Amino acid sequence: MDARLLPTLPLAFNPAVLFGVLLVAGMLGGEVARQLRLPRVIGYVLVGFGLAPLASALNIGPLLDEARFFVDIALGLVLFDLGRRMDLSWLKRDWTLAATSMGESLAASGLVFVALHLLGFAPLQAGIAAAISMATSPAVVLLVAQEARAEGQVTERAYTLVALNSLVASVIVTMLTASVHYEVKLDIDTAVLHPLYLFVGSLALGGALAALARGIAGMVERSPELHFTLLAGFVVAAVGLAQAGKLSVILSLLAFGLFARNEGRGHDLLAVDLGRASRLFYVVLFVITGASLPLESLQTAGLGALALVLARAAGKFAGVLLFAPMGGLRLRQATGLAATLLPMSSLALLLQHDVARLYPSFGQELTAVVLGAVVMMELLGPLAVQWGLRFAGETEPEAPRAPAGAILER
Amino acid sequence: MPLDFKTSDPLTVGVELELMVLNTRDHDLTRGAPDLLARLAKAGLPSEVKPEITESMIEVNSTVHTRFEPLAAELAATRDGIVEAAGRLNLAVCGGGSHPFHKWSDRRIYPTERFLKVSALYGYLAKQFTVFGQHIHVGVASGDDAIYLTHRMARYIPHFIALSASSPFTQGEDTSFETSRLHAVSAFPLAGHLPEVGSWEEFNGYFDEMAGYGIVSSMKDFYWDIRPKPEYGTIEIRIGDTPLTVLQAAELAAYAQVLAADLLRNRDSEPIAPQYLVYGYNRFQACRFGFEAMLADPRAHTHIRLREDVLATLYRVQRIGDELGAASALRAIGDRTDRGLNDARWLRERFSQSGHLADVVRLQAARWREEPAAVGADLAPGKLRAAK
Repeated sequence: MDARLLPTLPLAFNPAVLFGVLLVAGMLGGEVARQLRLPRVIGYVLVGFGLAPLASALNIGPLLDEARFFVDIALGLVLFDLGRRMDLSWLKRDWTLAATSMGESLAASGLVFVALHLLGFAPLQAGIAAAISMATSPAVVLLVAQEARAEGQVTERAYTLVALNSLVASVIVTMLTASVHYEVKLDIDTAVLHPLYLFVGSLALGGALAALARGIAGMVERSPELHFTLLAGFVVAAVGLAQAGKLSVILSLLAFGLFARNEGRGHDLLAVDLGRASRLFYVVLFVITGASLPLESLQTAGLGALALVLARAAGKFAGVLLFAPMGGLRLRQATGLAATLLPMSSLALLLQHDVARLYPSFGQELTAVVLGAVVMMELLGPLAVQWGLRFAGETEPEAPRAPAGAILER
Repeated sequence: MPLDFKTSDPLTVGVELELMVLNTRDHDLTRGAPDLLARLAKAGLPSEVKPEITESMIEVNSTVHTRFEPLAAELAATRDGIVEAAGRLNLAVCGGGSHPFHKWSDRRIYPTERFLKVSALYGYLAKQFTVFGQHIHVGVASGDDAIYLTHRMARYIPHFIALSASSPFTQGEDTSFETSRLHAVSAFPLAGHLPEVGSWEEFNGYFDEMAGYGIVSSMKDFYWDIRPKPEYGTIEIRIGDTPLTVLQAAELAAYAQVLAADLLRNRDSEPIAPQYLVYGYNRFQACRFGFEAMLADPRAHTHIRLREDVLATLYRVQRIGDELGAASALRAIGDRTDRGLNDARWLRERFSQSGHLADVVRLQAARWREEPAAVGADLAPGKLRAAK
């Protein structure tokens, strides 16, 4: 037989093999975590941590980079889902929710800014890190809340606050890139026009896709299966279009989700659950995130990272505890809500990437601080969400049992 | 120990309405009752609002009324207060006998001592009991009257079923029934109707015997369609689905009040046994076919269409209706009956237009919120309570 028809050894890996392997490995890691009564996400991330040295030993680092495609899709799904959960009319009906959002975002970023400035970072660097710190990881919150079958005011408010702080963080990071442009001495037109392009272009892309999806939805049967396929297709395409157009993936997808909500626009698009399909991507997202995190950043920027984490947590708690009780939340609920806002993960990484991609030389130290904080929060964040939702009484309790022959007492 | 029947003013009425608590995203049931109730506790509503078996339900208990209109006004004012509080929590509330597509296993038992015991004893039945009914209390002068009226009202149970039916969908499917809710009730071991006892004393004997077997410990253990409620001095008609509007709920209460007045004034001494022989059949007919049900009449040995039976009854009690201030309620009921309109039909029509049950629930919530229009400032909850 012609030897060209047979593979050469060692076998060359390709992204499909990698996706499958990461998925199964992540799933197994998640199950181990679950056995230990930890959120599965922690298992996924730990598998990623463990995989990183293996990947470099097997020299499949470049392949991991190719697999970023899956990460982008996963983030697209998360952000779209989050955008759909962002209910702006709720903010009108309950001003305390808007105040809580403002409060926790400002307090967290303000304290991070002060902490990093005190540690000697330049204002612009500290400012960008502070803006990135506003954002809570939507994927961690969604996954842990769904796993714990959490339901109630704290869960719902957490979704809305996470959506808002992700949105605000990415808008501010986008705006700060103007200053970065200025700092690296680009012309003033670029400094103004580029952020404007990112902002307006991303919103327009999100809006246009939502309108198109709505139009197509109006032409096909209103079945959840069809609408699921429609939305999944559009989300993946939206990620690609945002990348091709050099727009902000975060803003585009959040906007798409937000505009795909049904309020006041007829009700053509069904609120289908992207559920199981998107969870496949979430697993891979966390494994790859774990694998791509440089654990050594903890060594190089440990103190800065710790300061960021603590200042951020203090800000989130202060903002939530100040305003949420005014909206009728009990102290226990407000505390739980603040805890759910702690995770930092792939969204922070993506924001960091956006800045670093524009100017690779900009702030190596800053990068290490943010990455160090993300490493810590990858593990602490899911625990905080799990604890917060349980503390607030929103996770599923165990079923009660009675012996046969029991009757109800008076 | 004999159950004490606390007498109340005859023909006073009060209603209990079980309501759905929904998220506003896909209008599925959600765990919103604890927070909603905490907020409502401070709202000073004219009616009481309480927890029910699962955390996706709330129950409105009206105060006691003698006339239809103040009852309707109180329910509307309470509705407005609930809508306002729910809005702040990003929740929606609506009527209807069952949620068309919720998954029962997603429900959470409301953690009161009694509900936890119900759940421990009945297992999945407790969560499946996330169905929504209207209970109508009618005051009676004595335990004997309560027994009499409970028996005689049994003949009209199909009327209440057809008039209130609002649960044609369950678990995402059209059941072909006008109301599917009653199947959740029938599953309980002590569902059904009052046994054929003739007086309160005789009933006490029956109760003691059941308690002696270790089967029951209070009236709450009987899941009957109509039952005496000795603590309140009433009979409680528990057959109806929660209608889609508070106005219809008040109209049904007025109908029960007028029927009770008629039955108490024109006492019937015929044996009750034949009525109970056809009871289950007639109940099924009404659940399945609504106004088109064919009811077996054990006295005339014929069948009569439910729609005609309701219209004939309304004609007979018209004068009492005028006297009790229920004329407009009876007219509205007569009009709907004549045209074959009930909430089940409304829901099916919405489904055939939109093709999606989440949309149906959204429209259901809008109807609950908007019909009848919000009560004006002169009937604001605080003032209404002060006026009482």
